[in-house]
Amino acid sequence: MILTIFCWLALILFFGLSLWKAKQFASLPMHGRQDLYPIPLESSEKHAYGGSYMEEDRWFEKEHKHNNVAMVIDMLGEMLFIKKLFVNQNKFWWISYALHLGIYAALAWTVLLFVGAFAGMESAFGSIVYVLVTIAGVVAGVLMTLGTIGLIVKRLTVLEFKNYTTPQEMFNLFFLLAVAVTGLLTFLLNGCNFTYGYAITYAMTRFQALSEVCAGSLYPVANTGILYLHIILLGLVMIYIPLCKMSHYVGKYFTFHNVIWDNRPNLPGSKVEATIIKESSIAPAPGKNWSAPHYQPAPAPTDEAK
Amino acid sequence: MIDGRKLGPRDIGKLPGEQLTFIDTKQLMPLPAPFDNPDTWPKWQEPKPEWREKYAASLDGVIAIDTFETPKTKEEQDELVRKFLSGVEKMLSNEANKGIIQCLNLSMEYCAKCNTCSNACHIFEASGYNEIYRPTYRAEVLRMIVKKYFTKGGKLMPKFVGADIDLTWEVVARLGESAYRCNLCRRCNQTCPLALDNSLFAKEIRKIFSQEMGIAPKPLFEKGDMLQLKTGSSTGITKAAFLDTIEFLDEDCADLTGYEYVTPIDKKGADILLIHNAGEFMAWPENPTAFTILFNEAGLDWTLSSDMMGYDNVNYGIWHDDLMAKKLAVAQNEAAKKLGVQRIVIAECGHAHKAAAVVADRFYPGKDRVPVQSFLPLLRDLVLKGTYDLDPSRNNFLTTLHDPCNYVRQMGIVKPQRDILNAVMPKGNFHEMEPHGVNNYCCGGGSGFAIMNSMNFTYFRNSVSSRKKLQQVLNAFGEASADPNIIKYITAPCSNCKGAFRDLLEAWHMEDYNFHYGGLVELVVNAMTKFETPFLEFLRDE
Repeated sequence: MILTIFCWLALILFFGLSLWKAKQFASLPMHGRQDLYPIPLESSEKHAYGGSYMEEDRWFEKEHKHNNVAMVIDMLGEMLFIKKLFVNQNKFWWISYALHLGIYAALAWTVLLFVGAFAGMESAFGSIVYVLVTIAGVVAGVLMTLGTIGLIVKRLTVLEFKNYTTPQEMFNLFFLLAVAVTGLLTFLLNGCNFTYGYAITYAMTRFQALSEVCAGSLYPVANTGILYLHIILLGLVMIYIPLCKMSHYVGKYFTFHNVIWDNRPNLPGSKVEATIIKESSIAPAPGKNWSAPHYQPAPAPTDEAK
Repeated sequence: MIDGRKLGPRDIGKLPGEQLTFIDTKQLMPLPAPFDNPDTWPKWQEPKPEWREKYAASLDGVIAIDTFETPKTKEEQDELVRKFLSGVEKMLSNEANKGIIQCLNLSMEYCAKCNTCSNACHIFEASGYNEIYRPTYRAEVLRMIVKKYFTKGGKLMPKFVGADIDLTWEVVARLGESAYRCNLCRRCNQTCPLALDNSLFAKEIRKIFSQEMGIAPKPLFEKGDMLQLKTGSSTGITKAAFLDTIEFLDEDCADLTGYEYVTPIDKKGADILLIHNAGEFMAWPENPTAFTILFNEAGLDWTLSSDMMGYDNVNYGIWHDDLMAKKLAVAQNEAAKKLGVQRIVIAECGHAHKAAAVVADRFYPGKDRVPVQSFLPLLRDLVLKGTYDLDPSRNNFLTTLHDPCNYVRQMGIVKPQRDILNAVMPKGNFHEMEPHGVNNYCCGGGSGFAIMNSMNFTYFRNSVSSRKKLQQVLNAFGEASADPNIIKYITAPCSNCKGAFRDLLEAWHMEDYNFHYGGLVELVVNAMTKFETPFLEFLRDE
């Protein structure tokens, strides 16, 4: 039962901590404008060459329409394909993309297993789900393994990466590798199928002890030792990710939407203006402001000067 | 000294008391003809012994911060480190640094060290890939300091989290200098898969030095911000001198064109308050004159301001000091409000565009702001609707267009200048640089470099930070670059960029190959059929 509880805890903490992280960034004061072009929210004609509404005479009197379709397309390109890395550093994109695609497949695998926990394996729908679970699981395990090994080798051998990589960043890669490898081993040592995955989500959704499900006849798992190790590692990595820089899936939303794509002007009556007014009281406490001489208030005139 | 290509962020404290690395002139990026032979390149200027003694020359032998006298006693050295850390603490404060804290926290936390940004940096490439110029270098050093002193992880497991740095006064000094090896062009930001901004770290280090330690290059602070707040202009032009200058320029214009154009000053309730970079009045007076001709010919309701803060649009604060940036921007806005104009139009100055239209945009509520726009869309509309009778054949020479980072990559003003150029240049004479538009490279004078000429800093600018731009210019003109019989005009619609080109052309003796540079409005006036005499001086000389 402890493992079942741990699985739920890991899942809840992954989402909970990710949201907490997002809330931390969202609660910071509005920053000065950092627009960086091209911005997909501009009209498609302007976005094509990086133009903006500021190319118009008297722009402040004209309606500034947002191109949300282009924004979604651009965002998907970044989320699904890491487009900027592909365009600007094609040489290493394959390694990084292998790892990221592996993680996406692992997420799909998890969702499918929850569907499978209710659909079972017998029905036509359940059979389709099982095929998809198998594909997603194998792709996840193989790509995550190859991707993390590729990144580890790159960071250990290429000086420009080695010099900038911290032990913690290497630890993160090895942590992911351990999860991927134990997942693959669990698969290989249990008849090359993902019955073990079904056992996990079945136990979670029925709130049963995992050991009982594994020992039962519905989703039997023979080699539970490697499975338990895999679950512990997977759960720990899920809790750890939002707490470290691997939570960049949260940060990326803000860096694009809130920073380089945020070119909303401060017009009278706008939301930007309302925020400026609301946050105008945010100021350093006495003694906590910058100390350079020009930050100090001008001295009161002396009697002589008066 | 250590070969810069082998340095890592942890090495920044190595060789105390000596110069850490050097600009390897043999490794500098090769250039096309006529500069394909390194013997034609400007010679490296070794820092003089007295400079080394007095200033922080121990990063790469270049001195940018001409007000930073290195501490001599142990007490002074400890005090420098203490003040720096105090500044770092304020940099991380939601209150003291509220205008950028969200962006900073994101960039501080999420860098994946993929080095994609490095390939985008013109200084790193031009230097022959010296690590101290890599966009992530100073960022990583600062990150290590933050982790060591301001995070639990850094205190408990410094080596594991990458906080194993020994913060000496020399590290502080080198970090301060390294902040002035970045043009803040944000090209690295544009290519980052996580949209993180490494130039932000350079700017924050500059801010710590300026806002906490009271240290900033003289041309930016003392002769820049402070002089502007005191006299009205970083050039030192007072109101009386400004009024005299305008009168003189109008007279000169009449002599040249045969037409009397009057520059309106302090016209209450005008539609447009045009604000120039006051450097134009001194260095390139033909530029404000061209504006006067074009705006008067179009019959615009416009004016200049003689208010102390109304005739110079520069704002050096945006490169190193938030308070200075705000004070200047607020004062410029107040000058416009006093006149009761409908809008501020920024003339040919890139950083002033960004300062007034973008940086200042969130300084105070929108209802208190006079709308700010670029001159470019206004002029583009005037040119395209046929306001001026133009003959492109009068601009019978080759030109290329430099895109100022501040209003192209950082404001999205890309097309109007091209529409104007295509209307005033003969077909086939306008050669784009590659890459151009929002993917342009900085002129090398960005973020204050164009006005920083202390000691040997000019070598760094002319040979390293402007090198990529020089390569682009030469490539744009192709074989014509080495042909002194072909006139080549670099169109640079920005005062600081023009300053960088002026020095670049001089340092590389490019006048020998018939290279010229100037603004965009001059080309429009030169194409006007109304005038017999060419407006461009180099055509008159012919």
